[in-house]
Amino acid sequence: MRNIYLIISREYLERVRKKSFIIVTLLMPLFMIAIMVAPSLMMLYGTSDQKQVVVVDHSAMVAERLMATPEVTFIIEEGISKDEACSIYNEESGIFGVLYIGRDIEARDSVQLITNSSSSMVLEESIASQIEAIVEREKLHAYDIDNLEEILAEVETNIELSTYINDGTGDEESMESTSSGMSYILGLILGMLLYMVIILYGQMVLTSVVEEKASRVIDVMVTSCTPFELMMGKILGIAAVALTQIAIWAALIIAASKMLVPALFSPELAATNDMMMNTVMGTLGDTGYIALLFTYVTLFMLGGFLLYASLYAASGSAVDSVQDGQQFNTIIMLPIILSIIVMMSVFNDPNSPIAFWSSMIPFTSPIVMIARIPFGIATWEIIVSLVVLYATFVITTWLAAKIFRVGIFMHGKRPSWGELWQWLKMK
Amino acid sequence: MDAILKIENVSKSYTGHKALDDVSLEVPRGAVYGLLGPNGAGKTTLIRVITRITMAEKGRVLLDGKPLTAEDVYHIGYMPEERGLYKKMRVGEQAMFFARLKGLDKQEAERRLRHWFDRLSIADWWNRKVEDLSKGMAQKVQFISTVVHEPKLLIFDEPFSGFDPINANLLKEEILGLRERGATVIFSTHNMASVEEICDHITLINKSRNILSGSVAEIRRTAGGNNFEVLHRATDEEFAAAIASHAIILGESRGVVGGYRETRIAIPKDEDVRLVIAALNDKCQLRALREVMPSMNDIFIRAVNGTL
Repeated sequence: MRNIYLIISREYLERVRKKSFIIVTLLMPLFMIAIMVAPSLMMLYGTSDQKQVVVVDHSAMVAERLMATPEVTFIIEEGISKDEACSIYNEESGIFGVLYIGRDIEARDSVQLITNSSSSMVLEESIASQIEAIVEREKLHAYDIDNLEEILAEVETNIELSTYINDGTGDEESMESTSSGMSYILGLILGMLLYMVIILYGQMVLTSVVEEKASRVIDVMVTSCTPFELMMGKILGIAAVALTQIAIWAALIIAASKMLVPALFSPELAATNDMMMNTVMGTLGDTGYIALLFTYVTLFMLGGFLLYASLYAASGSAVDSVQDGQQFNTIIMLPIILSIIVMMSVFNDPNSPIAFWSSMIPFTSPIVMIARIPFGIATWEIIVSLVVLYATFVITTWLAAKIFRVGIFMHGKRPSWGELWQWLKMK
Repeated sequence: MDAILKIENVSKSYTGHKALDDVSLEVPRGAVYGLLGPNGAGKTTLIRVITRITMAEKGRVLLDGKPLTAEDVYHIGYMPEERGLYKKMRVGEQAMFFARLKGLDKQEAERRLRHWFDRLSIADWWNRKVEDLSKGMAQKVQFISTVVHEPKLLIFDEPFSGFDPINANLLKEEILGLRERGATVIFSTHNMASVEEICDHITLINKSRNILSGSVAEIRRTAGGNNFEVLHRATDEEFAAAIASHAIILGESRGVVGGYRETRIAIPKDEDVRLVIAALNDKCQLRALREVMPSMNDIFIRAVNGTL
């Protein structure tokens, strides 16, 4: 145990003291904040100038009622054909394009947008929905209903669906309120976080073992400690680095968002998204829930990392260079990538059989389960998943240690699968 | 013989290759013991069995008469042939790390290391980065890491490879000093000059088997024992006539200073050396006759080729 502790602290200190560690640790939150803030900034500054579209309306129904939007203004041209409009308002005219509406508006290819440069989805959506609304309104008018405008205003309805988890009482004070939107975002963020941690730090284990082997320190090390101690020391040392880095990130992100979030989200925005906001605020304010979630995240992250780190350590020991490790790396990556694919389907139905089983199978469970947890998963499922995960970690570590013990002394040719099997069986 | 280490019938094989085949040997306490053999003979495997890096399939390894346990690594210091240091660490930190892995506590480790750093005059390097060390300096640090816990059994795998003559000599002095203070030293090497110079016992391993074991003096005596160099003033013909049937002349004679010639002869074991001397003394102005001990290099080559 003493040796493992010494190796852990050596691995830990060597990495934490590196300049690159300090730089990455400080810059990463800025990068993440930039990603979070970027959409808002793009909304503010991302749209280019308001575009001018010339309308040639042969249906005589639409042109008058088109409304200018922040994206587009309309210039109505009467009494010219589509061809004439296109030849006048060509590229040199500075006009964005021509909106042509045929005589029978519902006929095929009757509404055309002919642009001088590439169009955008936002613009097309905006024009199409305006025309649809105008035509619908026109059709309603054809029924000749009195006070149509008042009636339409009156029937306009907006429903907010509040969702709760049934606790048998039906009392919304005691029931837990949920929001799939919130769960989706939380699940996605946590799933991606685990994915990143496993890959990033798992490969760090591989690199570390290969370097130890290449620098021949391993020959000196193994007389002072067992290969198992060395392997565990490396894995746990890097796990400690990961936890440190993530703890610093979490602290920085929380501190930054406490200052930045109020500045970014205007009160009007908060008012419009009332329900969503309330759930978010409610969730974030529920310290008990946060603590539980944090515990689960830590447990699954650690379990997932340890499981994969043992595989990375074994493959690192079997090769001479990081490049040679790529073949093993690809195979280790497969279940991790699969986890991400399954995670995406989890968001449609967090309780589907595939979601359930892949959150029990240890190689996919860390990422899939952590993505499901925000949707509210039975505690027994989480516990079973954790037990299976940690039990598998013990088995893979045991197997990895067998390969490690032989592999670290092997130099030269990359071992074949048959040779690896021989190593496993070796006494 | 008081043996500190006994290897009894040890066998070990790697995938499809027998690295050690029924090897037995005894290392006397306080000896400087040479483990010789061509590349790939199994020396390193044997050392790895002794240091418990790998386990033997058959046979036993006894330290002080008891089978080796995990705790025994604290009594063994091993400097492998391929030795590395963690490049990013500071020199002192690195040495402390190895010393503490060997079971020393922090204060004791630092005290001993400071002493050794002074002794090998690398004290100024304590706070420098390992990657800034020259090769010789790095080797000193590795040597210190091997001996700092004062093990009773020291194992050096090709200790002089890569050392410049000055450092090699320094290292040799330090190793002999450690023996003075009670340590037993095992060398693995194929540098025969160093074997003659400092080893008192050897084992020669070839093709995974122990083919020759014993004290250096004895081995040289039994391997040689009948070759002599004669210094005289006779011509080759006179010399041949004088020696007649008493001995066999080996090769050409050669002139040496003072008008003397030197001729190598082999005197058969059943021949009385005094008769040879008498015959030569009479006719050839004999000045000297001395026994030629085979060099360890000769013995090594002959043993490996099976002509010893």
